Order: sequence, then structure tokens, then C-alpha cells
Amino acid sequence: MTDVIRTGFRPSRIAIYGVLLLACLVYLIPLIVMLITSFKTPMDIRTGNLLALPTDWTVVGWTKAWSEACTGVQCNGVSGYFWNSFKMTVPAVLISTLLGAFNGYVLSKWKFKGSDLMFGMLLFGCFVPFQVVLLPMAATLGKLGLANTTAGLVLVHVIYGVAFTTLFFRNYYVAIPDALVKAARLDGAGFFTIFFRILLPMSTPIFMVSLIWQFTQIWNDFLFGVVFASGDSQPITVALNNLVNTSTGVKEYNVDMAAAMIAALPTLVVYIVAGKYFIRGLTAGSVKG
Amino acid sequence: MSQLELRDIRKTYTGALDETLKGINIDIASGEFLTLVGPSGCGKSTLMNSIAGLESITGGSIVVNGRDISGMEPKDRDIAMVFQSYALYPTMSVRENIAFGLKIRGMPKEEIRQEVERVADLLQISPLLDKKPARLSGGQQQRVAMGRALARRPKIYLFDEPLSNLDAKLRVEMRTEIKKLHQRLRTTIVYVTHDQIEAMTLADRIAVLKDGELQQLGTPKEVYDTPENLFVASFMGSPSMSFIEVAIERSEAGLSVTVEGSDGRTLALPVPAYLESWAGKRVVLGIRPEHISQPDDQKTDHPMVTSGRFKVEVTEPTGPDVLAVIRLNDTDVQCRLDAEHPVNWGEEADLMFDMRKVVFFDPESEKRIRPQ
Repeated sequence: MTDVIRTGFRPSRIAIYGVLLLACLVYLIPLIVMLITSFKTPMDIRTGNLLALPTDWTVVGWTKAWSEACTGVQCNGVSGYFWNSFKMTVPAVLISTLLGAFNGYVLSKWKFKGSDLMFGMLLFGCFVPFQVVLLPMAATLGKLGLANTTAGLVLVHVIYGVAFTTLFFRNYYVAIPDALVKAARLDGAGFFTIFFRILLPMSTPIFMVSLIWQFTQIWNDFLFGVVFASGDSQPITVALNNLVNTSTGVKEYNVDMAAAMIAALPTLVVYIVAGKYFIRGLTAGSVKG
Repeated sequence: MSQLELRDIRKTYTGALDETLKGINIDIASGEFLTLVGPSGCGKSTLMNSIAGLESITGGSIVVNGRDISGMEPKDRDIAMVFQSYALYPTMSVRENIAFGLKIRGMPKEEIRQEVERVADLLQISPLLDKKPARLSGGQQQRVAMGRALARRPKIYLFDEPLSNLDAKLRVEMRTEIKKLHQRLRTTIVYVTHDQIEAMTLADRIAVLKDGELQQLGTPKEVYDTPENLFVASFMGSPSMSFIEVAIERSEAGLSVTVEGSDGRTLALPVPAYLESWAGKRVVLGIRPEHISQPDDQKTDHPMVTSGRFKVEVTEPTGPDVLAVIRLNDTDVQCRLDAEHPVNWGEEADLMFDMRKVVFFDPESEKRIRPQ
């Protein structure tokens, strides 16, 4: 009996796993190439196969990318820019997420005349291409005295992010029964007490979604970084570009790859740490909303 | 102990053409249990929310103990509400849920602890105090929701369809508990429900609403026995009252109406003398299932009781009795028959009509014709 079932299942199972494995490989190959290349010596890269493991494992590429590689005229590696990115991303993510939560609370639980229209218009913000706002934003930042500063970049990302975070939180809060707010009002809680004591503690899943989304968006942004920051305040994405494009002597692919890995690591870590909430939060919102 | 007066409450939602509440007047005595009952969309939840202050009213006033509270914020009204969805705060334990309102009102910690324990004892939820609401069953959540309302010792309790999310068995149990609780505490309660049995069993008085208008206000018995109009008559009672169009006839024996069965056989039913002025006119006869039963020797001698033979179209055994449907004047009429003497559908049965409690309605105004 069992034999019959097994033989009946075998070919299709193998096919399914084969396809899945292949898809996995296709997705992973770029990462694998980057990783193994970053641990190779320049000599190894020139003579060896792209997919072959390093003959001599070395972290020279990583240390050089971190502290010695040239990004334009300076040769201090990407470390400084890495911290720049943090200084920009962390406040921008937190501020935009909190503002989004607050907007979502008002737009779902304290509706006023025209609040739905306002939400609709806010959604347009999700579809405005970055390029469109470059010039007006540059002018605004200049007038505010924030041109070429990290604070300016934070402001730009907060403004751009609020549309998305509001959408997340508003849809999450809409699914929460209004009776909860009514009960709290009868219990004597006011506008802010209800937000901070009742709704915010319930928001962990959507908070994680907003956090991951915003972190990835802001950390990976290149355009705003290259336009609105200069020199010492540039984020790592811009530094990476400069590093790869700086041509003095032989091209050091191991350094390029290591620098790219360094630039990509934080978003990866954030996703691994908070990822399980991401799926949960997204589905919770979509099913009920 | 608080008395509540609703004076000419009106409410029109912004942008709506019709009034949702069209001048509701109800006086609720201190310690009284009033149920608001009506079909969905009748305005009962709007009225409830208006009393709580969660919605503003466009006219009239809400007076508690002689003080107009219409313009006050919900938190200043000292009114507690139990919601259909329980509305427990999911991130807080049962203890914190009950204590939340007390904490916000700045009650000292020790007093809060005592109060939570008093309420927990009262509702027998002490073992649940440190659990989160999601870990409780529906009935337990219901108790916690009531506990939260009780803890504040408010002037008035509002219940917004609190039992409709429970299964049938639990609903009956909780219904009894609410009644017991009210008998013990004698608090003023306004209870909204669309379930007329709940309304009948719990209330001191029932207010029947339809389309934002009060149809009738009275004790369960008054509302059941002497409904003011066709709507109240059809809404209260399950299975509901049957309505038969008949003409009042005068004969030497007195006033009567004639009903015709599905086989063309007719029966004259005696009607009370107060319908004298309606002789020759058409009226609607309202007859409850329990007014038609198998002949009972003790009653058949009464002049207002008569018997006839009719074909039974459908039977529905419920356990204690059998509901049967017969056709009179081309209308389905429900009868409540004794389960011990089975009747089969399609067969004929002797049925006794007890006309002492039947009611009559003016077909034009749909109002009950009152004895003069």
C-alpha cells in the first residue's frame, strides 16, 4: 500500500521541490556572488571563476571598505556615512511612524467633516514620484536653513513617509471596534489618554510593518540623499555609489562587494528581527480592513 | 439611585433627510429596569448613545435627578455602559480593565483594589482577574464588561444588546443573572435589545420604538395584552399574533365576526360589546396562538369561548406544545396546541377560540380599538 502511494507521489514531489530549489537559487545567486567575492583577494577575482569559493579567505575587502576605501577625494571608507544613514533613518522612521499612528487614530476614530476626503488626498502622497518634488523641496529646505543637513533629510523623509504610515495605521484602526473608544470615553478617558493607553498598546503588529517599511525605504533611498545632502552628511547609499565610481588604479571588486553588503545589512537585520510581525500586521490589516 | 427623564429627544444626523429620533418622552424611575425594544434601525441605539453622551441630540433634554445633562461630556455624566461587543481593552488584564475608569478618576490605589475585589466577588470573576480578555470565554467577557460598569457605581447603567453575542443557552443564563443582579442592587437600568423575549423577561417597563417614535410604553403585561397598535402587537410575542380581517356583525345573540376555514366552513366568533359602534364595519382581529387551543371543558361554557372544526395545514412541535397553522379568511393563523394530544397536518381538528383576550384594530389607523 505505502509503496504504491510513494511511487505515485515521487515524480510530482521531485518536480515541485526542484522548481522551488531553482527559484531559490536564482534569487540567492547575486547574494552568494557578492558574499564570496567580498572575501576573495583581487588576484583571486581576476583569475578565478565568479561562482568559485575563495582560494584564500580574507576580510581585507571588508576592513578596507569600512575604513580606507576612497569615496571621491577622501579615503576613510564608508563607516562615517554608515552612521550618517543611521542618524537620518532612525529619527525619520520614528517620527513618521508616530505621526502616522496619530493621523490614523484621528482619521478612523475621530472623524470630522471632510476627514475621508483628507485621507483620500493624503493617499496621493503615496503616488507622487520622488523626482517631482526635488526642486520645490530644495527651495523649501534652503528657506528653512536646512539645506545639506541631516535634519533636512529627516524632514524630507518624514513628509514623504507620513502618507504611507497614515495609510497603515488608519486601516489598522478602522478594524478596531468603535465601542472600545466609546467605552474609554465613558470611563473618563480623553483624546490623548485613549490614544496612548488603549490604541497604541494594541498597535504592535502595524507598528512593526511601519517600522520595516519606513526603515527600508529611507535607508535605501539614494535620490534624496544625493540631492539634499553633500559631503559629510551624505548617507551610505551615496557613499557606496561614489566608492564604486572612484577609479584609481585597479578595480577592487572585493571592496565594492563588501561595501555593498555593509550598506544592505541593517535592512536585512531589521527584517529578520521584526519580519514575523510584518506578515502578521499586513494580513491583519487587509483581511479586516 | 437615580431618576432619568427623557424629554422630547430629537436627533437628525447631519445630511440626513429624516429625523432618527422624533421626540421621545420617557420617565424612568429610580431603580427601574427599562428595556428599549424595536427592529434594527428604529433608533434605539441612537437613543442609548445620546443618553451616554456619545452622540449629541438636536432637540429636547436629558435630565438626571432634576439636572439637565444634555450638553455634558460622557465622562461628566456618570453613566456606565455595557456594549454588545463587550469592548474590553485587549492589552489590559481583567483587573486593569475594571480599574481603568477608577484610575482615570483619580481614586486612591487601595480603594481601587477594594472596589475591584468587591465587583469581582459580586460577579464571581475573582479567579480571572489576572487574565487577558482574549483568554476568556464569551460569557466571562460579558461578566467583565458588567464588572467594569459596576465598579464605578454610576448613577445609571446602559446595556446595549449585551447578550446578543452569546449562544442561546448562555444567553438565558446571563439573562437570569442580570435580573438577579438588578433585584439585588436596585439600580436604574436602560437596556436595549431587539429580542422581545429578553425585553419581556427583564423589564419593569418596556418602551417599543419604531422609526424613531415611541409606539408604546408600559409593563410587559400591558404591552403584551393590550398592544397600542398593529406594530407593537406583531413585534411582541413569539410566535407572533395573527391578524385576520373581519366584519363586525350584529345579531340577536350579540356582536360577532365570521371566519371561514380553507374548506369553506364558517364559524361565528363572539366579540365584546364595546365594538358596538363598529357594527357593519371591517376591523382587524388580533389573536395570539394561545387563544386557539384544543377544547377545554372548563372554559367552553364561557360565552366568549366557542369551538369549531378546522383543517390543520402545518404542525411545529416545540416540546411543551405544538404550534399549528390553520387558514382563516385566507390568512395563516397560529394556534398553540397541547403536545399530549397530537394533531397531524392535513387532518381536521376541533379547536377552541378563547375570545376574552383578543384585540381589535382599526384597519385605517392601525390603532387598537379601546373599550369605552
